[in-house]
Amino acid sequence: MSEGDILSVGRPLPVPTSVSKPFWDAARRKELVFQFCPEAGLFQHFPRPVSAYTGKRNLEWRRVSGRGRVFAFTITERGPGPFRDAGRYVVATIELDEGVRIISNIVNCEPARVAIDQRVRLHWLELSPQINYPAFEPDDDAPDGEG
Amino acid sequence: MSGRHEVVALAFAEARNVLASGRSVPDLAGEVMASVLQRAGIEKSEIDGFATCLSLTEAGNPFWSAVLADELGLELDWCDCVDLGGASFVGAVARAALALQAGLCSTVLVLAADAPSTRNRQDFGSYRTEWQDPVGLLGPPGLFGLLTSRYRASYELDPLALATLAVTQRGHALMNGLGLQQLQKPLTVEDYLGSRMVSDPIRLLDCVMVCDGANAVILTTRERADAAGRHGCPSIAGYGERINHDIANPVPDITETGHKVAGARAFAKAGMKPSDISMFHPYDDFLIAVILQFEQLGFCRPGEGSRFVLSNDLSHRGNLPINTGGGQISAGQAGLAGGGHNFVEALRQLTGEGGERQVADARNALVTGIGTIPYARNWSCSNVMILRAAS
Repeated sequence: MSEGDILSVGRPLPVPTSVSKPFWDAARRKELVFQFCPEAGLFQHFPRPVSAYTGKRNLEWRRVSGRGRVFAFTITERGPGPFRDAGRYVVATIELDEGVRIISNIVNCEPARVAIDQRVRLHWLELSPQINYPAFEPDDDAPDGEG
Repeated sequence: MSGRHEVVALAFAEARNVLASGRSVPDLAGEVMASVLQRAGIEKSEIDGFATCLSLTEAGNPFWSAVLADELGLELDWCDCVDLGGASFVGAVARAALALQAGLCSTVLVLAADAPSTRNRQDFGSYRTEWQDPVGLLGPPGLFGLLTSRYRASYELDPLALATLAVTQRGHALMNGLGLQQLQKPLTVEDYLGSRMVSDPIRLLDCVMVCDGANAVILTTRERADAAGRHGCPSIAGYGERINHDIANPVPDITETGHKVAGARAFAKAGMKPSDISMFHPYDDFLIAVILQFEQLGFCRPGEGSRFVLSNDLSHRGNLPINTGGGQISAGQAGLAGGGHNFVEALRQLTGEGGERQVADARNALVTGIGTIPYARNWSCSNVMILRAAS
């Protein structure tokens, strides 16, 4: 692995659970889905056993656009474990346009160019034949041109 | 808390914070139990209630409080283990007070000990391994980096305010012989501002150094203390707790914390307001957590934390002394026992045992806890306790 290569770092593979399996099944097809509570009309992430809004188990999985903005971000100077030699990289909380947040990396962008409210879009990382992980990259096609 | 039976602290004890001590957790616990019994002037047989905190070193033990009580030779009528992270110690004191008020027991030992710099056996499951580890999130500094970046997008965060907190608390730690030896050196504003980034915008000197340590208090009712001729004991005046603040919101304002709710409840119970507080011992895993607490507890408005820090004297001789023992930032974080450091220091001041760092007007103390950082929100556990010196 070359210095600064956040795209090819040997990441710890997530192990799907009985709750999160639909997320990873969809990710294999490169579809980003989140739990949706039909009563509250709201998404939630990470996957929970019940709706965080009602406590009921009538959650649905709904596909989202994969477009959103950087809500918060931090530049990791030296990462833990396998990330130790990956150089500086960005971990961000991305707020999807559908009103749900996910923590992931901003890739294909110099850390110094990442900014709060920057428009981003989905970029799948193929970690293994079973696991695709949703990362994000600048959205150069965004209407407000903030890519 | 100040209901039918007022609950008082008979005595406190604290072990020296040490990096990689090589000691076991029961060993550290035994040290502070023997010390607190001696300071309280009571026999072990008088302890009939016990509350401890989960330990990072002993995290795999599913019977922790009973096993630790066994190690310490305690026969009990009430026993509990609190797992609210850094809010555990203050939470354990609150639960012990309830057990005393309910008459389940009469004298409670609240004790926390941990040795994660010798051995750390924590094993988070849940969202951490699936949703944080694969993206290389650097633990608490990474999470507080996210929080700080969002704060800075909404409000002004003056680096000089963070530096002032660091320098003030280090000054206090230099007067605390129980503080971590590695941190026993003076610190300047320039040292803080020049310290390296760990998870930008979090600098090395924004963070705690994890170490081994232990602390303990003995609680009983005012009636029982008075009957024993112990009239000068500080009491619990108010408490509030909030877990998973604003959880039913997929896009919360992460600069708002549970302390907003927990603080209001504690102040109401104590019949006090922020301007009545004579010293503040905030939980300080990161310096920005202190800024947020000034705002959320009502010392100033959201966004005004930097200005508040720079326009008040927070030293032990100042108008609002904070973390006069150095806090975890400058005395070390003894794992999940770290939440006891600030609590014990508050008692030390309230009983006039602060030595060269004694606060002149130590009428009362505000002590807080912060526990665990959830996925993409603010911290999970917030608690607030107000202690009052004997009149």
